[in-house]
Amino acid sequence: MMFKTIILAVFVVISVNSYSQTINWARLQKTDKHILNLNAGLDYSLTAGLGYGYQLKTKIPIIINVEYSMPFGENLIDDNKTKLGIILQFAKAGNFLFTGKVQGIFRRNENDFVRMVNIGSDMSVTAGYYKKKWFVAGEAGFDKAIVTHFKHTKFYKEVFPNVQDGWYEPSTGGNFYYGLQSGISFKRSDISLRIGKVLTQDFTTTPGLPFYIQLGYTVKLRAKK
Amino acid sequence: MRIKLLNLSFIITTIVMLTACTKERNIDEAGNLVPKTVEQDVSLPSIAVNGTQLHAEAFGHPDSALLIILHGGPGSDYRYLLNCKAFASQGYRVVFYDQRGSGLSRRHPKDSYSLQLMYDDLSAVITHYRTSPNQKVFLLGHSWGAMLATAYINQYPTRINGVVLAEPGGFVWQDVLDYIKHSRSIKLTSELLNDMLYMDQFFSGRVSEHAILDYKYALLGVADGNKDNSTGDEGRSLGWRPGAIVNNALFDIGDRDKPDWTKNLFQYTTKVLFVYSEKNKAYGLAHAKKVSAAYANVQLLKINGAGHNMISFPTGWNNFYPTALTYLNSLK
Repeated sequence: MMFKTIILAVFVVISVNSYSQTINWARLQKTDKHILNLNAGLDYSLTAGLGYGYQLKTKIPIIINVEYSMPFGENLIDDNKTKLGIILQFAKAGNFLFTGKVQGIFRRNENDFVRMVNIGSDMSVTAGYYKKKWFVAGEAGFDKAIVTHFKHTKFYKEVFPNVQDGWYEPSTGGNFYYGLQSGISFKRSDISLRIGKVLTQDFTTTPGLPFYIQLGYTVKLRAKK
Repeated sequence: MRIKLLNLSFIITTIVMLTACTKERNIDEAGNLVPKTVEQDVSLPSIAVNGTQLHAEAFGHPDSALLIILHGGPGSDYRYLLNCKAFASQGYRVVFYDQRGSGLSRRHPKDSYSLQLMYDDLSAVITHYRTSPNQKVFLLGHSWGAMLATAYINQYPTRINGVVLAEPGGFVWQDVLDYIKHSRSIKLTSELLNDMLYMDQFFSGRVSEHAILDYKYALLGVADGNKDNSTGDEGRSLGWRPGAIVNNALFDIGDRDKPDWTKNLFQYTTKVLFVYSEKNKAYGLAHAKKVSAAYANVQLLKINGAGHNMISFPTGWNNFYPTALTYLNSLK
């Protein structure tokens, strides 16, 4: 127990980001209750993340998960993202598995002009070929910025004195993403790589960083019998 | 435990209800996150020329020699160059205008832009303010504005009586790309990178949603004066509202056509004042010499103690203004 606590504490202290936990579903056992994930990569900036998943006692695998991520930089507390939701395996045909993910997002971004707080959602599907020792899958998702609060700094108010602070709705934007994920598995661990492209919801503009790359490490901890 | 949960749900419900009662603001509505343009706010000074409406102002006697100020970007505005008003008290008619699609000027669709249109706008501005055919015309361009000034002189070598060029990226496309590469190199682990990229998940806009895209472009201004930025500015210069679409459109045109604005410059024998800043690490003497070599007769000037936006801040301005005035007076 002490050992598990230390591992968890280390993960929290390293305080790492994530786009999602990447799991080898072929290797996931019913007894794998706790799923921890560490990852780093490019996700709208250079980021690092930490994820925790809890597998429910259900017929089909369902994981409740929470993810926290933040970008690198001198100020480590001004930008971050927290996701909470479920991941479930909804179909299986031999080694082909299909999973879906629905998450709520709370994120924050601050610079010398504005502080933005956003409530959003992230929905994605993954379809892939999963073996015990490796897997490869395609993924596609939509990250929606539902409502955003803007609070501008003194400097921006000098630029535009009549700027309107407050909540902005309806939706302030959204981005589609699609790509590939792959990984190798050993013992209770998976090492995974995700790579893909990001497009704005109207497909006519692209974000400043129009792609994502994420290297992840996932470990599954079994419940005591 | 049950009471605590009930209390929590009451607090959450109250917060949600209070939030729901606040006034709904639309991110694409001008006047919310960015100011309105001249077509949305009639109180702004403007001129209607060449099928558009430009935010513009002029200072000094109308019959004095014209000094047209060309801002950078493309897509910035003339607010950061307002120090140049000082030339008005020295016998010049100083004309500021936000270029098409920039600042507080009217916005246009992305596919409507061309370099010729930008030249035609400049011709129209000159025509609008010129009171007689003998009135001399000078250009003062900063960054992209200096490129536009040169492109205009290359197109019409006899129309301009003198030009001050402040750190143009280049007059051939490869020089422009080289400068952009050096001036925009940012450390991957820096806070500045987050400040410029992380916002993309908070809001996004279509190419027709100018207010959103202009706001996003404005936020990229965090790079100005930042210690991780190589352009060496001593602070952030003020602008009104950048034009994201014109910036994007003209960059795409440059990338597609790879323009060379030097082919006719040999016909322009008037002395050119070419200035570059001491602190802009992406520029320097070598690049200044390379770019300015396209002109036959050049006075090269280093502005000590200043970065790229040398005209905006006291140190740069105090080192720039006397030489620029002497140069212009020598041609008046």
